Amino acid sequence: MRPSAPLLSVRDLSITHADAVDPSPSGVSFDVHAGEVVLLLGPSGAGKSTLTLALNGLIPHAVPASMTGTVVAGDLDTSTATTPVLSTRVAMVFQDPDAQIVTGTVYDEVAFGPENLLLPLDVVESRTREALRRVGLWERRTDNPDQLSGGGRQRLAIACALAMESPLIVLDEPTANLDPQGTEDVYTALADVVAAGDRAILLVEHNLDAAMALATRVIVLDRAGRMAFDGPPAAVLRDNVDELVAMGVWLPAATLEALRMRDAGATLDPLPLTVVELDAALASAARLAETAAARPSEAPTAGLPAVPAVRLQDPGTSAGGESGFSSDIRAPILQTSPPQTSPQQTSPPPTPQPRTPQPQTPVIRARGLTVRKGRSEVLHGIDLDVEAGSLTAIVGANGAGKTTLIQALAGVVPPPRRQVDVAGLDPATASPRELAGRIGFVFQNPEHQFIAPTVFDELAHGLRLRHTPDDEITTRVEGMLARFGLADKADRHPFLLSGGEKRRLSVGTALISRPQVLALDEPTFGQDRARASELLALLDALRAEGTTIVIVTHDLQLVADHASHTVVLADGRVHASGPTDDLLRSGRAFSDAGLRLPALQRMLAGRS
Amino acid sequence: MTGAVDPYARFAPTSPRQFLYGLNPLAKVAAVLPAIVLLVFVRDLATPAAFLVLSYGVLLVGARITVRIAALLLGALPLGILLIGIGFSIWVDAGLVADTVPVASVGGWTLYSGALAIGFATALRLGAIIALALIGGLTTTGPDLVRASVQQLRVPYRIGYTALAAFRFVPRFGYELSVIRAAHRVRGHHGGRGPFARIARGWGYIVPLLAGAIRHAERVALAMDSRAFGAHPTRTERHLVPFRRRDLVFIVLMLAASALIFLVLP
Repeated sequence: MRPSAPLLSVRDLSITHADAVDPSPSGVSFDVHAGEVVLLLGPSGAGKSTLTLALNGLIPHAVPASMTGTVVAGDLDTSTATTPVLSTRVAMVFQDPDAQIVTGTVYDEVAFGPENLLLPLDVVESRTREALRRVGLWERRTDNPDQLSGGGRQRLAIACALAMESPLIVLDEPTANLDPQGTEDVYTALADVVAAGDRAILLVEHNLDAAMALATRVIVLDRAGRMAFDGPPAAVLRDNVDELVAMGVWLPAATLEALRMRDAGATLDPLPLTVVELDAALASAARLAETAAARPSEAPTAGLPAVPAVRLQDPGTSAGGESGFSSDIRAPILQTSPPQTSPQQTSPPPTPQPRTPQPQTPVIRARGLTVRKGRSEVLHGIDLDVEAGSLTAIVGANGAGKTTLIQALAGVVPPPRRQVDVAGLDPATASPRELAGRIGFVFQNPEHQFIAPTVFDELAHGLRLRHTPDDEITTRVEGMLARFGLADKADRHPFLLSGGEKRRLSVGTALISRPQVLALDEPTFGQDRARASELLALLDALRAEGTTIVIVTHDLQLVADHASHTVVLADGRVHASGPTDDLLRSGRAFSDAGLRLPALQRMLAGRS
Repeated sequence: MTGAVDPYARFAPTSPRQFLYGLNPLAKVAAVLPAIVLLVFVRDLATPAAFLVLSYGVLLVGARITVRIAALLLGALPLGILLIGIGFSIWVDAGLVADTVPVASVGGWTLYSGALAIGFATALRLGAIIALALIGGLTTTGPDLVRASVQQLRVPYRIGYTALAAFRFVPRFGYELSVIRAAHRVRGHHGGRGPFARIARGWGYIVPLLAGAIRHAERVALAMDSRAFGAHPTRTERHLVPFRRRDLVFIVLMLAASALIFLVLP
């Protein structure tokens, strides 16, 4: 037992949201002590975010939900103390950086909390200075927070939490809205906070690759919101990996990769949790393979499609019969990556990507595409072909012109004439009715594109615009409703659907006029992994049916797992484009454009 | 950044002559408020014209005249007065002024000098009210007005600072509206041309905009609560906005000038 009193003590906590039937979390108990970094995991719907809201009294004081059990933060019971008072015990960092900024300068923002605490002026100033220095924003203290990058704004939110000087900081998906660079900035700042050792951190995060390096303890909630596991990260993840996968808990990319290899027959033991561990495990496996290969009869057959068939049942013994487990290992990993649609789907053997034979006919062609916004030129003479049947990802650093490009290709913002051709149509001059027959566009926020009062009318809108006969409209809309699991919601208002249903409906409205191309702008941005996986499974299915898919994203793991082709933009120009595997092999195409590959892909590129 | 005005931007006077920036925001309100209220009931031409001269004089001396402010004071405002004046002159019921001198006639319609007088009295009145409001409006930041209201008027800080946080919503909603419009356009929700179709389209934007706004406001409220907003009845003020003798002098001088104009002119 620890001698010190816990910073946070949760006992038999159950929370039922105003519109829910069953509580989640349900009957959860745990303590958090000084110096701990607790990673809270669980499938979507387990109540992770709800639990964080209860830790500083927002539940039950500000959010409509009923709560049983107790939460004691320091010496305060959250059922009696209000959130502003509890803020000295528990500080919060939320997912959306824009929704936590209330003042006009970086300095005022950090001082806001201490000022509310009615601290003397010199204490306010010293806390603000200290917090801004800790996250590296002191030089920017006079700037308007709008001028910071996404990662910078989230670091500002962390500085605001530090300035409260509460011993526990709770972060709810702090990097879900950030690009890879922003995520790295946030974790660098958090690592500094942890290194000082004076705070405990409770973290909800789906990006486990970044979080695993910090966590000292993992708590897992199951689908019903009950406590499933609680313990050191390595023990919890290694000993229960199959249960976690079955539960739908997201795992580090290195672990997922090792599981894929296990399914293909190559077991790594111990199971790697970080890319560094995977790298080391592969290196030792390769050494073993080389020892095996040294025997004359079993020389590696270079050049053949390598199958990771080596079994390493026991570390330290040469186990495999066949070889091929040398440097070729990276090729099969990259090429046979199954659609990483959800953790559950890593269990079945890898199914090859649906690779339709490519007849080299571009369905979208851009020649010298130049787009201006106001006075500045955003895209400078883009030449681009999107192959029919591909899933093409457009990536690039912030401000590279990704969204501008996809909007111009899809005619959302009409491009200059005769620069773009979408299946024989110029989006500059085509009417929405004609365009909808060639290319469907799905906006980042599905709500933005809903225009009808019911789900049925929403889907029928595109067909009515084309003067389709009524009975055909009915059959096609009903088919679409059934396909997207919305059949019982046909008379609902689109805004009353759940988040995942809204997203499916927005894809359905884009598909109803049977376009050859589906374009999506950041469809997974700010979503949890379960919902993102659902959408990606849908896109893979559509592509298998022959629809060409163009997607703008900052999630390079998604690109590596799903995109057949990738276009890398930098400063409004095409920096590189081609089959994703070719671009990933060197990695230079991404790093030169200011993009950071996911750690796993970086490691794999480095092993070549 | 958008081209919108930053409500948090600080003003730096470039010469000691520009005294308006050093005044308490409440003094600038108190000095012009009585005149603004009385102007609503004025019907002649000379009184609003005098107030226009007064407020232009104060602004040209006491404020830093940037290109933007010059365009507003010397371009937009006079043009607006001219247009509203002509508009009201034509709109006035000719029966009321039929006994005044006709100025021009087109076919069976005659423009009387009385109509012109009424039209331009209205336009000058509006212009004078705006010009008086600009004395404070062009030289005060949003945060300073809030701080002064909290420090001198004892407005609860929860109200003042919540209003201030709401300023941040404006550019966000502007961006969101542009995205919604593009989304509706690409889906073919045109509904025809003309003002009525435009209004009908506008209604279609309101639901998604409001849904986003409410959600955003809830999140901001949770974030503010989590940072001790409202923990105590007052909060530490790093920026004091004092009410000094010069503020009193400014109020007295402005009120005296206003009284003089109302008394001397009919």
